Amino acid sequence: MQNMREMLKGVLEGIVMEIISHGEIYGYEITKKLRSLGFEEVAEASVYALLLRLEKNKLVHITKKPSELGPPRKFYTLNERGHEELVAFWARWDFLRERLQILRLEEKENEI
Amino acid sequence: MKFSDEMKGKIRQFAKEQSQYYLEEAEMTYLEKLKYKTGQMRGQVAAKLSKLKKESNMSIEAQNDMMLYMSDYMNDLIEQGISEQEAFERAKEELKFRSETTDSANLQKRFAEYYENLDTAHYEAIGLFYAGFMFFGVSIGALTGFLGSGGKDMFYSGGWIDTLIGVVVGGIIGIGLGLISNAFILLKKK
Repeated sequence: MQNMREMLKGVLEGIVMEIISHGEIYGYEITKKLRSLGFEEVAEASVYALLLRLEKNKLVHITKKPSELGPPRKFYTLNERGHEELVAFWARWDFLRERLQILRLEEKENEI
Repeated sequence: MKFSDEMKGKIRQFAKEQSQYYLEEAEMTYLEKLKYKTGQMRGQVAAKLSKLKKESNMSIEAQNDMMLYMSDYMNDLIEQGISEQEAFERAKEELKFRSETTDSANLQKRFAEYYENLDTAHYEAIGLFYAGFMFFGVSIGALTGFLGSGGKDMFYSGGWIDTLIGVVVGGIIGIGLGLISNAFILLKKK
């Protein structure tokens, strides 16, 4: 879907945390997963910056594994704090979705 | 896929330059912060600091992460049939640090709007107005000065100065009229 970039800015962290919660994954694999989900407009830099932020905020557990290029590759899993943050994200999402749905239905009822 | 040594060097250099922008200041060492803040003087300061500089572990990790991320992306592009050099250029463009503050977003939006609404015909019209009024002003000014000073008979015996004054005044009037027409075009555009 096009023109999603601005809208995604607020929820990308939650989406990436959800992807990480499904199992151990490395940076570029997350980007590929996002693309396969249809989020093609997500910039490569956004995921890289987001992973740095998740690490800085201590929301992920990192396992380093050797890579063919030299430096070790980081594999991410959610830690306890990350899981809590993900639960909070979905709660915020549900709240937002519910309110938007109410607004949408109200509008439709007014039209009728 | 394995990259050539030259390409590995380029990736390493790019990652070294860009990864620090992504790191928040709090995670950089004092010397890194200094290097970051000095902007264009970075090269000079870096030379002085090179002996003293001790990079934080976080900074090295961020560089390594970016190197791996970039090489993964490049491999992906190469698999799609893009050359190594092209893949590098594209990855560089994608991964280059861009400020995401509200101000910069607004500024970018305004720039985009400006360029979207930019019509070269307006600028051409403004140029033509200036040129037209200048020719008009200079001609009228020269003629008035020439005739006012006594015409051909007086031109060589001091009358040329009046013609010259007429040319200058006419030119100034032409610029003035050009500015007014410019203002009208700008107001019309709004």
